[in-house]
Amino acid sequence: MGFYILTYLCIAVFVIAAGYRIYRQMTMPVHVRWEIYPVQHETAARAVYGGSYMEEADWWKKKQEKSLLNEALYMVPEILFIRGLWKENRSLWWVSFPFHFGLYLTIATFVLLLKHAGFTLWGSTAFASGSALRALLDGLIVLLGWGGLILGTIGSLGLLYRRLTDPELRNYSSPVDYFNLLFTLIFFFSALVSCLSGDPFLEGAKAYTFGLLTGGQSPSSYLPGQSLSGGVAIVTASFLVAYIPLTHMSHMFMKYFLYHDVKWDDAPNRRGGRIEAAVRKNLNLRPTWGAKHVGADGRKSWLDIASSTPKEVK
Amino acid sequence: MNRSPNPSDLANPSDCLCHIESSELSPLPPPYEDFNRVTIPPLKPEKVKNIETSLDDTVAIGIPKPANREEEEVLVRQFLSGLKKLFEKENNWTFLQPLLLSMEHCAKCQTCSNACPVYEMSGKKDIHRPMFRAEVLRRIYNKYLKPGGKITAKFTGDIDLNWTTIARLAELSYRCTLCRRCATVCPIGVDNGLINHEIRKLFSQEMGIAPKEIHEKGTVQHLKVGSTTGMNPLAAKDSMEFIQEEMEEITGYKVEIPWDVEGADILLLHNAGEMLAWPENVGAFAIIFQAAGVSWTMSSEAAGYDAVNYGLWYDDVQFSRVAVKHADIARRLKVKKIVIGECGHAHKALTVIADRLLTGDLNVPRESAMVTLEEIVLSGKLQLDPRRNDFPVTLHDPCNIVRAMGIVEPQRRILRKIAPRFREMTPHGVENYCCGGGSGFAIMSGYNFAEWRTLVGSRKKFLQILNAFKNEPLETPKYVCAPCSNCKGSIRDIINYYQAEERSGLHYGGLVELIVNAMVEMKKPMINFGGEPSWKQD
Repeated sequence: MGFYILTYLCIAVFVIAAGYRIYRQMTMPVHVRWEIYPVQHETAARAVYGGSYMEEADWWKKKQEKSLLNEALYMVPEILFIRGLWKENRSLWWVSFPFHFGLYLTIATFVLLLKHAGFTLWGSTAFASGSALRALLDGLIVLLGWGGLILGTIGSLGLLYRRLTDPELRNYSSPVDYFNLLFTLIFFFSALVSCLSGDPFLEGAKAYTFGLLTGGQSPSSYLPGQSLSGGVAIVTASFLVAYIPLTHMSHMFMKYFLYHDVKWDDAPNRRGGRIEAAVRKNLNLRPTWGAKHVGADGRKSWLDIASSTPKEVK
Repeated sequence: MNRSPNPSDLANPSDCLCHIESSELSPLPPPYEDFNRVTIPPLKPEKVKNIETSLDDTVAIGIPKPANREEEEVLVRQFLSGLKKLFEKENNWTFLQPLLLSMEHCAKCQTCSNACPVYEMSGKKDIHRPMFRAEVLRRIYNKYLKPGGKITAKFTGDIDLNWTTIARLAELSYRCTLCRRCATVCPIGVDNGLINHEIRKLFSQEMGIAPKEIHEKGTVQHLKVGSTTGMNPLAAKDSMEFIQEEMEEITGYKVEIPWDVEGADILLLHNAGEMLAWPENVGAFAIIFQAAGVSWTMSSEAAGYDAVNYGLWYDDVQFSRVAVKHADIARRLKVKKIVIGECGHAHKALTVIADRLLTGDLNVPRESAMVTLEEIVLSGKLQLDPRRNDFPVTLHDPCNIVRAMGIVEPQRRILRKIAPRFREMTPHGVENYCCGGGSGFAIMSGYNFAEWRTLVGSRKKFLQILNAFKNEPLETPKYVCAPCSNCKGSIRDIINYYQAEERSGLHYGGLVELIVNAMVEMKKPMINFGGEPSWKQD
């Protein structure tokens, strides 16, 4: 039961920490535009060379055309295959790609394990022993699970090796950077060892996931926590889930904001629109910057200050 | 120091944290091998005895050394106070979200380093890595402003905060041109250029520390006198009268420059530096607009004849003040739109950044001159003879117009129509390299900074230009089209410093000069190469 309590707690930490990160971004004040081209939701004709709607005369009289398809065509390979790194830093891609893809496959495996547990629990007849659905799910769990663990082990080992041996990376790495990689490596490796030592069909993972949905009840007598490697895998996986949103590794999901709220945020401010209302609100904020030329005293608003001429040079 | 410095070394006092030998700079090809033995000239001791110089071989700001320990401590406290404000919405709503996202998600993969021309050309000096200064700020923030930071710093990356750290960080923020090439290649979307911009803001807005060329002689003079050039409205009008006469003399075409025309379709905003350094650019705009029958005007009001906004590079408050002035002038003139002339940072400042500052009737539509000119040239309103531009032409992409605004093709469509020997640089468009003059560098020349800029900052651009013309005979006159005042200034300095006119036949200018040069109506060519006309009169 101790493993389950740990996992529940770690999931709770994940939900709270990730939720806080996302909430914080969603409630940030509207910032000034700082987009950088190419912006991938532009029309295909323009996105190909990095053009923008501002290339058109009197663009403000026209409806801004956006292409979700272009964005998806860019983002899907970027997320799945880390295309940017392939293009710009190929030698690192060879270790970074297996690391990330291993994580994705492991997450996908966990989703499949949840489905498997759900079907088992809420007993669909289509999921009876020997059914096609069950065989498919079992097969996918094995395929994705093994793939994820092998790639993840190779990737985290490779990244750790690069960070230790490449002066370009080593010079900027802190203890926590090594810890993060070591931590992930221990998870992948212990889970891999657990599968290799008598659990090739991930029955232990299935049983443990089932137990997560039932508060520790499991139809199987075999549980991964019974072996050292299985126990380590459960503990490190749980801690990893809690740890990721507390670190820069949250870029896994925060990348959405880095791209959509900054890099590609090209939405023009139209009179009477949502952005204008937010800007008006911001202009009422009262800065306290200390340099004399700013002339801030905590009472004057941005609007007051922007409409004035500096009285002092410094 | 023999080993490469890492971010924590910024705090360790030494005479010079980073020195560049001539042999470490990227080599230049023939006929410029003699410059491969040249490096940044040493600072003159008598000129720098009271200022901070311990970062590298040059000085951009010239921060006075604190007189004593107490003064140092006051400055350290001021720095921390400013750093805290960067993360408060009351003080930094303008960039809070982008800053936080970039501060919290860097994976230190160094992909950005390979994209940075300053890092590459400096001989890959660590302090010029885009993430170096970002990591310094990150470590200071984590250690000194986060709860328990002094303990966690041992694990997350340590740095000591003292006057040396601060003085070097201030200087280091003026070794990056804010071209943001690093940001385009980051797989995560982290923007180290933005963090550098925020460092500059902290120093200016909290501590009053900024290079005098962009603050005292820049935004302050702009707001007080009317222009960063020091020209008041009367002087600006005088200089435009002179330009009118010059244009007639040069091209044989009589042009009238309209002032303060209420209700005109277009308010044209020039970088006032053009009036003094490149009057033919201002004149060429007037010729094109007049010949195309455009309803336009210039403003003679203080700040209305100078499109620049140096605040973009270092200070949101000064930025806002200048942007509001520009918009207010357009509002009162009741023009339909503002068109921004050939000035890259003015493009981005007024069109993109100020977009979320200007509300109500201050939000006057703004358009790039590249777009306006394309419409004119492709409309057939001008009779153009491309044979008049029968010389090799290449195009420099100003970062602020191209990478920061996505205005890539209009200028190319013009060139394809009027310059038969146009060829691209490699790379170009949104992947271009900065001219080396970005973020204020083109106008900063105190101490030996101009030499640093030309030898390090602009070196990549020089190599690109040479490469674009590599198949042309050296003696053939060649034209580098740079539709941005600061880029032009930087390219002018490259050409002069490396004697590239004499050695490679390099010349430079804007886009409008090429258009006017191709206009059939012109009796004489606008472009001359070393006194030789670019085409012969009938």
